[in-house]
Amino acid sequence: MPPKSRFTRLDAFTKTVDEARVRTTSGGIVTIASLLIVLYLALGEWTEYRKVVVHPELIVDKGRGEKMEIHLNITFPKIPCELLTLDVMDVSGEQQVGVIHGVSKVRLLPADEGGHVIDIKALDLHSDEDKAQHLDPEYCGECYGATPPQNAQKAGCCNTCEEVREAYATASWAFGRGENVEQCEREHYAERLDSQRKEGCRIEGGLRVNKVVGNFHIAPGRSFSNGNMHVHDLNNYFDTPVQGGHVFSHTIHQLRFGPQLPEEITKKMSSKSLPWTNHHLNPLDDTEQITQDPAYNFMYFVKVVSTSYLPLGWDKEMYGLHSGQDNVGIGSYGHLNDGSVETHQYSVTSHRRSLNGGDDAAEGHKEKIHARGGIPGVFFSYDISPMKVINREERSKTLTGFLTGLCAIVGGP
Amino acid sequence: MNGFADHGLDEDAFGEKGGSSIVKAFDAFPKAKPQYITRTSGGGKWTVVMLAISLFLITSEFTRWWRGHESHTFAVEKGVGHNLQINLDIVLKMACKDIHINVQDAAGDRILAGEMLKRDATNWAQWVDSKGMHGLGKDAQGRVVTGEGWHEHEEGFGEEHVHDIVAAAGGGRRAKFGKTPRVRGGPKEGDSCRMFGSLDVNKVQGDFHITARGHGYQEWGAEHLDHSVSELSFGAFYPSLLNPLDRTISATPNHFHKFQYFLSVVPTVYTVDGATPYSGHTIFTNQYAVTEQSHMVGDRQVPGIFFKYDIEPMLLTVEESRDSFLRFMVKVINVFSGVIVAGHWGFTLTEWAIQVLGRRRRQVSEGVLTGKAHENDD
Repeated sequence: MPPKSRFTRLDAFTKTVDEARVRTTSGGIVTIASLLIVLYLALGEWTEYRKVVVHPELIVDKGRGEKMEIHLNITFPKIPCELLTLDVMDVSGEQQVGVIHGVSKVRLLPADEGGHVIDIKALDLHSDEDKAQHLDPEYCGECYGATPPQNAQKAGCCNTCEEVREAYATASWAFGRGENVEQCEREHYAERLDSQRKEGCRIEGGLRVNKVVGNFHIAPGRSFSNGNMHVHDLNNYFDTPVQGGHVFSHTIHQLRFGPQLPEEITKKMSSKSLPWTNHHLNPLDDTEQITQDPAYNFMYFVKVVSTSYLPLGWDKEMYGLHSGQDNVGIGSYGHLNDGSVETHQYSVTSHRRSLNGGDDAAEGHKEKIHARGGIPGVFFSYDISPMKVINREERSKTLTGFLTGLCAIVGGP
Repeated sequence: MNGFADHGLDEDAFGEKGGSSIVKAFDAFPKAKPQYITRTSGGGKWTVVMLAISLFLITSEFTRWWRGHESHTFAVEKGVGHNLQINLDIVLKMACKDIHINVQDAAGDRILAGEMLKRDATNWAQWVDSKGMHGLGKDAQGRVVTGEGWHEHEEGFGEEHVHDIVAAAGGGRRAKFGKTPRVRGGPKEGDSCRMFGSLDVNKVQGDFHITARGHGYQEWGAEHLDHSVSELSFGAFYPSLLNPLDRTISATPNHFHKFQYFLSVVPTVYTVDGATPYSGHTIFTNQYAVTEQSHMVGDRQVPGIFFKYDIEPMLLTVEESRDSFLRFMVKVINVFSGVIVAGHWGFTLTEWAIQVLGRRRRQVSEGVLTGKAHENDD
């Protein structure tokens, strides 16, 4: 034995001199077993250390003047594209100005003919389309008593069927199929409309709106403002030669506010312990609503909650450096260059009613009296929640935490 | 148990004994032959103290484990909502036939709540003095509740623990409203009206109003809008869960009075882990926050009681869970071995200190205490 120093007494790892030891088989078995247990636990500790967890936080949304993208993809199997309009309004009922959008209408064959795509046309929100150029430069079409539209090709004239319709809409007159209107007969408006009568339509794309309370709706006919009322020209919708008429049965393939999170992130965020997690799933995706009644109104009350997703290693200093978000194209808004994603989740309540009012006896609520009147169509009204969810990716343990855990495991047995 | 698995990995724990069984060579707990062991009274005292300490720590660890822990999480509510159940039990100081009760909501629907609610004549005096009745924001003794000294673990519904809430909700039994007591005293036909029942409304912002028939300005004489709410809750009916408006009473001396309640409904899930003794249960319910405003109105406005409700998009989840027993055992062993090792250190230190001070000069075989302690924990 080495000479005793003062520290010998402090030796925490005292050893019995070998001659004094007894080794037993049972002791050996216990040692091996505990070694195995230690290895197993240490392995568990390691995997836990390597695991990335998503930690949700709830804050009050302090953003100002933000925009929000609405991505929609909705199929209407029984309404032709010619009849459908999409309107975006804000809380006061005004049509939103400066809405950047990339929505297209996809003409679909009737469902009994397969429902395939015929063609795709970009949709203009509040505008005029396919102007047939008249041959005679001196030609000035009659507006049939209505005020000519301000943005007409030729001031004071209605040179196209579209312009006549616009003028009628401004004057709050029903337009119908354009019989006896020269411009429309020349453009074969009625024939074109009738030939499409059996088609379906899919509206797909995205639009960027101000992040304020608002609504958007898909309804038949041209919309115009009549005083404070938002009105649609419904003549062509209700007067239809098609058997059974047009109905607003629809399938929402997708409706989301902001970018979709990549697959691997949603997988990471889903925890099996709770069925209600903060991962990004859109509740309205793949919902289908069917009606046989042309005068039917579907409403969705949506509450939008801002959600941001911060990846591992995301740094506060980088935050706020993203500028020029306003100019990016539809679909890329919300993907910031530091890898974080700004998007929205929503909760939704659906409601359906016939425009004829009546009670809800069919669903067992005869005490529920529906409102009468209104416009047939699909209405989405969205409300912005003041709360914001931040999903932050984190290692579940720091390195020191891992080492501590390891020591505890080794020390324990 | 001398605590160190790595001790077993020491060179000399392995060496020399080539001849005997291999398993034997792995013995990490080499025991000294009894003839080399001395037991000292100092070591004995240390052992007892250490045992006491570890017992204390383990007890506290056990109670902590037994109590479990509560976690609060939140999420945006999933799924497409349709209906929301409202449970109402209210007594108004008015004749039943004069009361109009209606719901108007953001979807444009009007719900004739009057058809869904039962009406019973009763006497105001039978309700106003009953136990627990209080004004909104005041306790049963009429003192204003300021929230000061609020219980730290208050979970809502007046219960402290999630398992109490779940137990109070009663495992899925279909709850019913209590019967109206027979009219006693006062006018025989009763001077008040109790309306109670559940109804389904659309799960959108809405306004629940109770007004007098035809807002009858002219014929109003004895009627007041005094009311006492016994129950107002959203979601499945759990009578024993206490909501903010339950058992509140509001009275006014005026005939033309408008009571407005603004309610924010927060969907809430209470869940108790199956590992706890309260058997796994989950209840879906709604909590709400309420503010009240009441004032006199002129001839032009409609007097009445108005509940404006709105539903929040965030779903709260309160979960009570407990670690598995295995995990708890690992913790106990950790604590125990930690205490033993620390005790060993302490013992060594005191021995050393004593020796340095020169008060005692006795050779103490080291490792004895630990050997003894090991025997003790078996």
